Amino acid sequence: MQTIKRILLTGGGTAGHVNPALAIGSVLASDESRFLFVGVRGRVEEEVVPHEGIPIKYVRASGFPGGISPKWARFLFDLTAGVLKSIYILLLFRPQIIIGTGGYASAPVVVAASLLRRLRLCSARIFIHEQNAVPGKLNRLMGRFAHKVLVTFPESLSHFPDNGLLVGYPLRRRIARVSREEAIQKANIAVPEGRKIILVFGGSQGSRTINRAMVDALKYLLPYRDKLLIIHGVGLFKSSDYNAVADTEARLHRLYSEEQLKEIGSFYTYQSFFHNIENLYGLSDLVVARAGAGSLNEISAMGLPVLIIPKSNLPGDHQVMNARSMERAGGAEILYEQIAPVDGVLSEWIDGELLAARLLSLIRDDSRLQSMRERSDSFLNHDALSRIARVILKEESTAEQDSVPARIPTTAPLPGNRALLSLLEKALEKQKTGYRPEFVITRPQDLEYLKNRASALLIHPSWQERNLGVKLLGLLQARERIPALLTLFFDRTPAPLIQRFFGGDYRQVGFIRRNIIVSLVRINVVSQEVERAFLAGLEDPYYEVRVEAARAVEFFNSRLSYPKNFLAALLKLLDDSILDVSVAAAEALGKVGGEYDALPALLGRWDSRFWKMRAAVLRGILHLVERGEVGRLDLVEAQVPRFILTSTDFAPHFEIKSVYRQLMESVSRKKEKRVAQ
Amino acid sequence: MIYFLGKWLNPDAGFFSFLRLVDYLSARAIGAALTAIILTLFFTPVFIRYLHRRGLVDQCRDTGIASSFDKAGTPAMGGAIVTGCILVSCLLWCNLSNLYLLTVVVGMTWFGAIGLMDDLAKTRARSGNHGLSESKKLLLQASFAALLVACLASPFSPLPPDQAATFYIPFLKTPLFISPWIYFPIVFFFVLVVGNSVNITDGLDGLAIVPSVFVLGVLGIFGWILGNKIWASYLNYPTLPGAGELAVFASAFAGAGIGFLWFNAYPAQVFMGDTGALAIGGCMAVVSVLLKQEALFLILGGLFVAEALSSQIQDKIGIRWLGRRIFLRAPLHHQMQHKGLAETKVVIRLWIASGILALTALATLKLR
Repeated sequence: MQTIKRILLTGGGTAGHVNPALAIGSVLASDESRFLFVGVRGRVEEEVVPHEGIPIKYVRASGFPGGISPKWARFLFDLTAGVLKSIYILLLFRPQIIIGTGGYASAPVVVAASLLRRLRLCSARIFIHEQNAVPGKLNRLMGRFAHKVLVTFPESLSHFPDNGLLVGYPLRRRIARVSREEAIQKANIAVPEGRKIILVFGGSQGSRTINRAMVDALKYLLPYRDKLLIIHGVGLFKSSDYNAVADTEARLHRLYSEEQLKEIGSFYTYQSFFHNIENLYGLSDLVVARAGAGSLNEISAMGLPVLIIPKSNLPGDHQVMNARSMERAGGAEILYEQIAPVDGVLSEWIDGELLAARLLSLIRDDSRLQSMRERSDSFLNHDALSRIARVILKEESTAEQDSVPARIPTTAPLPGNRALLSLLEKALEKQKTGYRPEFVITRPQDLEYLKNRASALLIHPSWQERNLGVKLLGLLQARERIPALLTLFFDRTPAPLIQRFFGGDYRQVGFIRRNIIVSLVRINVVSQEVERAFLAGLEDPYYEVRVEAARAVEFFNSRLSYPKNFLAALLKLLDDSILDVSVAAAEALGKVGGEYDALPALLGRWDSRFWKMRAAVLRGILHLVERGEVGRLDLVEAQVPRFILTSTDFAPHFEIKSVYRQLMESVSRKKEKRVAQ
Repeated sequence: MIYFLGKWLNPDAGFFSFLRLVDYLSARAIGAALTAIILTLFFTPVFIRYLHRRGLVDQCRDTGIASSFDKAGTPAMGGAIVTGCILVSCLLWCNLSNLYLLTVVVGMTWFGAIGLMDDLAKTRARSGNHGLSESKKLLLQASFAALLVACLASPFSPLPPDQAATFYIPFLKTPLFISPWIYFPIVFFFVLVVGNSVNITDGLDGLAIVPSVFVLGVLGIFGWILGNKIWASYLNYPTLPGAGELAVFASAFAGAGIGFLWFNAYPAQVFMGDTGALAIGGCMAVVSVLLKQEALFLILGGLFVAEALSSQIQDKIGIRWLGRRIFLRAPLHHQMQHKGLAETKVVIRLWIASGILALTALATLKLR
């Protein structure tokens, strides 16, 4: 094996990028090799890398701005400055290979290196390692400049069709598998016979959502206390906002009595940090974790079944993608964070009861755990490092292709939010009655994921995105997200002053409120809370909300708990200054009104100025009569002929177009018949 | 051409002496109008069938479910025939060395070409919303506006030098201000806004063409008067020598417009498309600028202004920024339809409105 003398490592920003770089570096190291790390000042690498005895240099870099924004100027400036500095570094160091592990820090170096290669001033081979299932935009771009893109998840291969190579994740420390007996001894934890051990942790910093949900879940796990042992790592996170240990402690005392706490103590223990995680892995029957590439690979390396709670709203949703990759392989189940009202504000949240139920159903099913264990074990390459070394060194000496078998994912990628919206809208248009989102999204896990992705939009800072989330939730018929929609609907935070000056009202703009009502109708579930929203909608300052609320009342009519509740508001809307509102109100009155409240009001509109209103009123009366609400039919018969029946509109009939359509329909019918035969 | 022919063949007396008619604007104007109207009446049916054969129709027929009164499958690009007939008529009857006329013809052709590219791109993509991109269109229009400004500021301007940077408003004898730094930016944006306003108005059968005939008719009268030293000084206007040629252009336009209406009237056999809308918008903008009647356009073309404003307010302020509708529907004619007026009724009412506006604008001639 030929040794490589000068190796340049680059990548950084977070430990998730720095550690793989160092890991790859360590496996390539020999006595003669020299390393240089290029990173960004002020990030993790500034501390970690010198600690490893590797010299570090800094370049300017910043993240890829999404969309058109002033951040582009800064990005381009930083990139230019970074590339110039990288050229200088590269010319001085003259590396033989460059290993980039993503994060924006590696971009300038990779660009500079490929520029220099063009000019034949640099002969370095460029390798990029992608840790996550979905590569970031910058990494996708950098992939074009690289000789090989080494990926962790099979899903990423589709992004690098030419030079992608599935190798796995370079874990730095070798985690030895510890047998259960050995682990019990070493871990110094008393494990009573016959208990299933669950290890819960949200990374070294901990996760507020997981910690809180875990504490909430204990209530539902109490009855099973002699079958369980839960070891919970709450994490080291401390800020003015949230202190992992103190918050957990306080929550435990707030939710449970002293007696309960004693019982809980018999099967639950929490620590701020695990010093001996190998042993804990060795003990565990099930792990609950986040979906960082590092964590998942550790868990897969230990061959453990895992319930993944991916962190949502990360760039490219990469934790969710990692989680879905492992779930598809069968080694994991996913519990999505929900966006739900917490103290009246929408934020990430997990239902403790749901968490408890998922944990119980998993640990009760031994065969399921066993199969998950096996699949988790085979999910990712355990020997990523030596494979990476083979790939790099072989390329270096013989330039021969390493035939690493790649598992190409068979499932097509799911549509993005906007594409999904138009797909679902088309399906709804085709199938007016009996529409189900399952027609479009057949796999239940996918539907669950999409609902989750849509509800994550509800807390987006831009109203357009929140609006998109609202529409998607309606079309996906996400019943369990109704509380989130209602919280958004009743959010009366005013819009900025300048917008109110031009006719804006609340932060949750008119379109959002209108679409919440529409979505509630599409979800097709009524409850007291939903009815309260309709009632408030009838008095909303924005007219389209009033229109949709009236239509919602018309739609649900007898399914409402007490339809008469809406009468007063609807009668008031008959005189609304906006035509659309009074039209909708008149039709709704026909569905929920009666002879003595709605009928006189409707009959009184016989001379309304707009024919659309008069038509709506007549339709309303028609509904009343059909529903058998009207006893005095004579009155109707006497009064209705008074109505002004002139109209300013008409529907033209084009003879040739109807013949055309008849012909085409006939042809397609005949064709279908022929196919059927 | 006839103008030059008449000039050349008419040595004061003799056999061709009747050709001194070409010296009279009125005779040439009537000739231009008649020529344009006959040309359009004759060639439009041929053109319509050509468009059908080439498949250059408004939208693709198999995109949606056809309702019984939809308009899919109607050929667009009728504006090409309107523009063509105006050009031919001008070629015959106008003094082609007149700078006013040349500027307007360049403006109309430039904008028409942008529209033609857009229409062709739309039919090629078989979709109504995949034409030329918004920014590309705007860039091409802006480049003409900049060219026009440069021309007005240069010695080749058709306007007399003392009128280069004056800004007049109706009901006031003297210019409101004389400043190139304010006036030229106004011209630039005026051309962009007016150039696009017809496109927004062009949504119902016959809606755009009649008001634009009104607008150009009134502008033609203004051109006639401003080009005439006696009348201009009588009405306290600055004299713009040569502007009378715009009256000939305007009557050619009116002729072609009426000929087009023959086929475009409800239910339409042909639409003007972006080709026609932009060409008409372009020549309205240029004529207004050349006659110093930019401010008058707010009254004269009030319909176009209202349509453009309502559509922009609804889209840019309401839907994009505030997240709500400001009008029930936009532009104006859709709002009227939404309130329950039939298409024919909306169109005729808006014709009446634009007629009233045109007459009001004409009244400002004397009220100064």
